[in-house]
Amino acid sequence: MNAKSWFSLYRLLIRTSIRSRMQYKFNFVLASVLAALIQISEFLMVAIVLYKFGAIQGWSLYEIGYLFAVITLSKTLYRTFADEVHHLEKYLVGGELDQLLTRPLPVLLTLMPQSFRIMLGEVLQGGFLLCWSLGAMMSRGQVNWVSVPLTLLAICTGAVIMFSIGLATATIGFWTTRITELQNITEDAARTAAQYPLSLYPKWLSSLLLIVIPVGLVNYVPALYILRGELGPWVPGVVAVAAGLCLYGSLRFWQFGITKYQSTGS
Amino acid sequence: MNIEVTEIRKQFKTPVTREGRFAGLRTLFSRDYIVKEAVRGISFQVDSGEFIGYIGPNGAGKSTTIKMLTGILHPTSGKVLLGGMDPHKERRQTVRRLGVVFGQRSGLWWDLPVKDSYDILTEMYGVTPADKKRRLDQFAELLDLHEFWATPVRKLSLGQRMRADLAAAMLHDPDLLFLDEPTIGLDVNAKRNIRQFLKILNEQFGKTILLTTHDMDDIEQLCKRVMVINEGQLSYDGTTQGLRDSIGLPTLFRVAFRGAFHIPEHFQASLSERNNPIISSSLINMPIHVTKVQDNIVTVEANRQEWSTMDILRELEGWGEIDDIDMEEPDFEDVIHRVY
Amino acid sequence: MLYFTLASKAYARNLQYRGAHMVHNIASAMFGYMYACIWIGLGKDHVLGDYGTQGMVSYIAFTQSSLWISGFITNGLGIPQAVRTGLISLDLLRPVHLFTHLMAREWGQIAYQFLYKSLPIYLLYVVVFRLQFSGSWLTLIYVGVGLFGAAYLAICMNYLIGVSAMWTTESSWLHWGNHAMINLLAGFFIPLEWLPDWLERFAWLTPYPYLLYVPTRIFLGFGDVSLLWGTLFWCALMTSGCLLATQWLRRKVEVQGG
Repeated sequence: MNAKSWFSLYRLLIRTSIRSRMQYKFNFVLASVLAALIQISEFLMVAIVLYKFGAIQGWSLYEIGYLFAVITLSKTLYRTFADEVHHLEKYLVGGELDQLLTRPLPVLLTLMPQSFRIMLGEVLQGGFLLCWSLGAMMSRGQVNWVSVPLTLLAICTGAVIMFSIGLATATIGFWTTRITELQNITEDAARTAAQYPLSLYPKWLSSLLLIVIPVGLVNYVPALYILRGELGPWVPGVVAVAAGLCLYGSLRFWQFGITKYQSTGS
Repeated sequence: MNIEVTEIRKQFKTPVTREGRFAGLRTLFSRDYIVKEAVRGISFQVDSGEFIGYIGPNGAGKSTTIKMLTGILHPTSGKVLLGGMDPHKERRQTVRRLGVVFGQRSGLWWDLPVKDSYDILTEMYGVTPADKKRRLDQFAELLDLHEFWATPVRKLSLGQRMRADLAAAMLHDPDLLFLDEPTIGLDVNAKRNIRQFLKILNEQFGKTILLTTHDMDDIEQLCKRVMVINEGQLSYDGTTQGLRDSIGLPTLFRVAFRGAFHIPEHFQASLSERNNPIISSSLINMPIHVTKVQDNIVTVEANRQEWSTMDILRELEGWGEIDDIDMEEPDFEDVIHRVY
Repeated sequence: MLYFTLASKAYARNLQYRGAHMVHNIASAMFGYMYACIWIGLGKDHVLGDYGTQGMVSYIAFTQSSLWISGFITNGLGIPQAVRTGLISLDLLRPVHLFTHLMAREWGQIAYQFLYKSLPIYLLYVVVFRLQFSGSWLTLIYVGVGLFGAAYLAICMNYLIGVSAMWTTESSWLHWGNHAMINLLAGFFIPLEWLPDWLERFAWLTPYPYLLYVPTRIFLGFGDVSLLWGTLFWCALMTSGCLLATQWLRRKVEVQGG
């Protein structure tokens, strides 16, 4: 099977998923709006503090809104297309991975189209925060229109980085079977940490978030350049290369891990 | 497509689970394993067009064997060839020619209507639209798919899901079909449906089929050949009739006598002292013995390996005037219990 | 005695997963650590009210640990799942009141989480942030009462959320909404007095401040012990709410057959 027919397979899956979701249009829209509101409460929590105290170590409310928005949208992009990678534990415990191994495709490419998730709530929340924060910074003259394509690029490279982190974590499941707790550290806690400027954290933690679990490269490092003109114009390029390396590394790890797969049962 | 299996073994290593504080972390980094050998050197050959039953008690290594044959698990040692191809070295090319159905779980997309799953599988296996239409029309008729064509898979009954799964496994027209407990949990009707379909696949389309099951009716109605696995090793490989004979379960004769009858001493002894293990075990070796006398009806167990049916009838005639006689073949289920 | 058995079974069931939970604790501790870092960052440029930077770090350490007592308890006490599988009619058949039955089970869960989650996480913060406790034994007793009331309130609130699953399939939204409210109104990250005025007044009209803010204030030695009367008031109100909801639920199940 070649790449072209794989993409047409994926398109088919997206079409059918959307169609089946749209059977309950009202429920779907209501659920998405509620999800957006609930998720924004976490930002609101910090926004209230910033509103009272002004800035955190020189980072304004808008800049932190931007960090929130970029990492949310990156995560949304990753989870939309590869949600099942995050849910590999279900396949390992229930033995559903067996069925995937009987398909004439690389396992990862059979796993990803198992489901396609429409995350309208996250798109609404991230999109709203991004427009609000970038709009405010533009009207104050802090950034210009160039920041828009750069931000979109950062969201895409960020999605690749988060996918790599997710894939590497999931691969550990081939040894341990249970991965939920580990994902809580490498995906949830790390992502929450990256919602704030890494300079707030002690050296060991910020280095960890830049090198070992590189969520800092998703939003913090690009924001340093895009919003504040720090570092240099090489930032987007270097981040893209780093994303490529992460992807390569995690794919190799996945390929190794899958040879260790022990199916459940006898 | 033929199957060639030589001396396959599978060992599972499970890490020793630690107790106490930080048990999870310590287990994660521990290097101690318990090695369990699930399959211990199995060899067999299957020719194109055969229909084979693969049976054994739970935990005997049935599923592990199937998983090694289909390329899901790598054998620790030994070799598997499907139509001359190694399903582990050339997994993608080999599985293209296989159809696999796991009775316990579905290969369809849970939230999507049945037909959408077929669309996706069509793309996945690169089936042409013309072939897809022709095959689906055929299966839809044989398996009555139309009644749940647009229903999401999660809402199907177990029988419907199984039919949908079978059609899905046949969509790319594989030569070889592996079925792991395809009739598990189904009612009589659904079982009959599935068996009919499998029979057609084997007899009219010439598909090679290997099936595991706990339902002996599946074996008796479908398979000419049967393999029995026990504790990771093959304990029988031959015809279904041969399996029945080799165990030598007794045939039951229920004889109604008209008027008086007389049972010879040496056969009668078995009645009163049947509970005595020493005597009853020696009686098993007798060609016939009486198990029950009620009014004028006498029940006799006979081992037809030693005496032919005619011999037995002749003996029974000697006891009195026979009014009616009723013969019962051993139940296949019992045959299997003897093997395990 | 039955209730004690139910609670100890729930406790023992969790014990099996101790190892995995310890890994989970690392993640939970990291969340609190990050929030503390934000306050430390703020404290460098601003005066943090009565608390001071060290006081805010203690504040976060305490709320993050207490989340395992009054925040993260079984979603809807497991009722939504029982409704989906139809087990709810079986549960209503038992000769025990549904509310007390589920509550006993949840107390076991909370006892486990207190010992294996709250305590280790708080002790970790004591070491990392060099926290000190200057209060008396009496303070600790008041804190204990406050936390006990908070756990009871959390059980009641989750019971009500769970019961709503009988009427709507979307009750998981109530669950998430509840979490959002804990973030904002229970004073998990910001002490209530720093909320905008209208939001603060609104928060005090709800039971949320009694889940985290009240026990934390007492623990930090700000001495508002009289606030515990509020906890008592809400406990009484919630209990009658739960009993009423059970009656409605029973009628609904009888009419609908579960």
